[in-house]
Amino acid sequence: MKTTRTLRRASQWTIFLLFVFLFLNTEYKDNDVLPYAVNLFLRLDPLMAGAATLAGRALIGLVWPALVVALLTVALGRFFCGWFCPLGAVIDAADATVFRKTRRKGAVPVSWRRYKYLILFFLAASSLFTLQWVFLFDPISILIRTLTVSVFPAMNLVLHQIFDGLSRAPGPVPGISEPVYGFLKSHFLAFAQPVFRTSAFVGLLFLGILAAETYQRRFWCRNLCPLGGLLALMGRVGLFRRRITEAGCTRCGLCESDCRMGAIDGDVAVTDHGECIECMDCQAVCPEEVIHFSGKEGRKSAAVDLTRRGVLAAAALGAVTVPFFRVEAHGKAPDPLRIRPPGALPEGEFLARCTRCGECMRVCIANGLQPAWFEAGIEGMWSPILVSRIGYCEYNCTLCGQVCPTGAIRRLSLPEKRKTKLGLAYVDRSRCLPWAGQSDCIVCEEHCPTWSKAIVFREERTRTARGEWKVFKKPYIDEELCVGCGICETKCPLADRAAVLVTSRGETRSTGVLAR
Amino acid sequence: MEIAVAGAYHAPMITGGCPFSRRRFLQAAGGAAGALAASALFPSLPCAAGGKTVDVGVASAASPAERARKAVSLVGGMPAFVSRGDVVVLKPNIGWDRTPEQAANTDPEFVVAVAEMCLAAGAVSVRVFDRTCNDARRCYVSSGIKDAVERFARENRVEDALRIYHVEDRKFVRASIPNALAIREWDLYRDALEADKIVNVPIAKHHSLAGITLGLKNMMGIMGGNRGQIHYRLSECLVDIHRRVPVALTVIDAGRVLLRNGPSGGNISDVKSFGKAFASRDGIAADVIAAEKIFRLEPRDVGHIGKAMESGLGIASRAQIRLVEG
Repeated sequence: MKTTRTLRRASQWTIFLLFVFLFLNTEYKDNDVLPYAVNLFLRLDPLMAGAATLAGRALIGLVWPALVVALLTVALGRFFCGWFCPLGAVIDAADATVFRKTRRKGAVPVSWRRYKYLILFFLAASSLFTLQWVFLFDPISILIRTLTVSVFPAMNLVLHQIFDGLSRAPGPVPGISEPVYGFLKSHFLAFAQPVFRTSAFVGLLFLGILAAETYQRRFWCRNLCPLGGLLALMGRVGLFRRRITEAGCTRCGLCESDCRMGAIDGDVAVTDHGECIECMDCQAVCPEEVIHFSGKEGRKSAAVDLTRRGVLAAAALGAVTVPFFRVEAHGKAPDPLRIRPPGALPEGEFLARCTRCGECMRVCIANGLQPAWFEAGIEGMWSPILVSRIGYCEYNCTLCGQVCPTGAIRRLSLPEKRKTKLGLAYVDRSRCLPWAGQSDCIVCEEHCPTWSKAIVFREERTRTARGEWKVFKKPYIDEELCVGCGICETKCPLADRAAVLVTSRGETRSTGVLAR
Repeated sequence: MEIAVAGAYHAPMITGGCPFSRRRFLQAAGGAAGALAASALFPSLPCAAGGKTVDVGVASAASPAERARKAVSLVGGMPAFVSRGDVVVLKPNIGWDRTPEQAANTDPEFVVAVAEMCLAAGAVSVRVFDRTCNDARRCYVSSGIKDAVERFARENRVEDALRIYHVEDRKFVRASIPNALAIREWDLYRDALEADKIVNVPIAKHHSLAGITLGLKNMMGIMGGNRGQIHYRLSECLVDIHRRVPVALTVIDAGRVLLRNGPSGGNISDVKSFGKAFASRDGIAADVIAAEKIFRLEPRDVGHIGKAMESGLGIASRAQIRLVEG
């Protein structure tokens, strides 16, 4: 009876490859409009969909696929974690390779399983009161964020270093390595090396999730994942579940010791249907072939590890936390560098919906969208901000709004995008070369993308440091025309801090006024 | 494009902090005199340094491709510049995420026509690229040049010989520039350094700092590093680049001309239909004539053209130019 297990493995691989395919295609490929829904996985996620809907106080049409997953879970149980979840697949792959010979000492207490529920109730309550924390624990968000911000840029760097080295190697080496490089470059590698803030930190957190496998198989899924918790609660009444023909069972215990979720505990005939992810391992290992998965009810099911007290405490904690975040001063005096992508909703709704998945940063063509550290407070961590010194917002590009899975960044038409102000630029006249009487420059004016230039220059006299009066072309910003795209700041030739800078002042989403 | 993580990038050397001084002028003038003497010794020098005259073709025709072909034939035809077996770098302006109508990039048909002539003259390889200002992928697509070049290559089965590709950081090489006015060394693109011939295919347009941008300025597209820095002393830097990477033929697209808000433009109302093309083996002469005919500017009005004429890299005065119109 190994067919279903093989099917499950095939499903995990297929889904994971699809995931990677969509990830790699979350990129500009000579086409202004992405041809298909690269953000599919996030939109399938009932936890994220629920939290964004609750916290954002809006029905979000984009996340309808999550409803399908929810209904399937009610019908089939917690299959998502075993068959579908790409993070689950990564963890299983790590188990099958890195942790294959790990002897797990010191069992993790069974009671830890309840933490995923407590986290779930905490998140649900705080979302209900508009504070959306789900991004911290949602597995899809974690995986895409980690790939975007951390793993993919690092892999890209390493591969480039290797092939750059090989291309300079003597003899026949470049003849072999360069075609391989060419293939990788066109199908896999980034167009330009991406760099991200928080990348090492995000990578370390992810390593932590994998390292927990030292203690227990699927440690994350069993004990912490709130999506798993949600699906467990939904799937408890599922029709498709494990059952055992007790007559032939020899109580050998193989199924119990082989269960990656610990869903069989003590009595092998009893299944915790909330924990069972229907991976079919037990069916495959059973020497007597008495384990079946079917629509018929099993003998009985174990109780959920939840107490009323625990649920209430977690929910209350989630609710009580909210006002403390609402009195943080950044609500009154926002960080001027909190510059949001074009089409971003007003800040409150934006943070309520933003999944921190990093799709917008992944697709941002000039690498300008970066994860925030604390520019939007602790609750705004990893939300996208434009860091113009790193990259700018390309004038004719609307990709970030196309990939946002929850509509935190609205999908804009190109004419609408071109009128959307992210902020406004200003000139630091004490550093700007012509203003400071150093030399002419005008790089900012030359790059300014608006069709009637928002940066204009006037020829004016300035006294140089040596006391001579000389005429320079000095940049001025026309605030009516400036859209705050930041290309001036990116391209300003001053090497450290630019002399023309963008802040969020005048952003369309706050003023509501469209530029001409 | 500059990625700090690779750790390979060092600040380029810029000589002196002061603007153009009398001493520099005398050096440059001395250089011109030296080059004059050298041209007497080596008459095969590609540029017309010294007192010789040089032809500039001024072509009028209905389509970009016809203009390009006519301009090149007026100065002797492509075989006079590109020899059988040459590896040619064809350097259009693909700097901006703009459409052909916006006239910020060289017209795609114009580029293809010049590429076709290079292949017909026996070039084994024609390589088309530019280091762009906006995202390179967007520029290649919006300019129409990628599509036009690839389509031509496909339809004529010359995909191996004619290629358009993106500039990569790994292929910039630190090159030293002897007798530099401003930059003693800079990262230049390996393919341009290694090419047998460079064919420069700029578009004529307004430029806020340089005044206008033609052939001389277009060669900035082979430069790596922080190009913004050379705007401190743009004219001298452009001369230095040309000293290091001589151009075999300049063909200037002046079909549509961006008259204001250059070099990036955007407004169609800033674009004027001009319907001409200019060609010359001497890039300075081509720029001088284009400046005069399109913009009614004297060479000395345009800093970098004036500077180039002093440099001895090509013609030193307007009188050396012979116009061939057609």
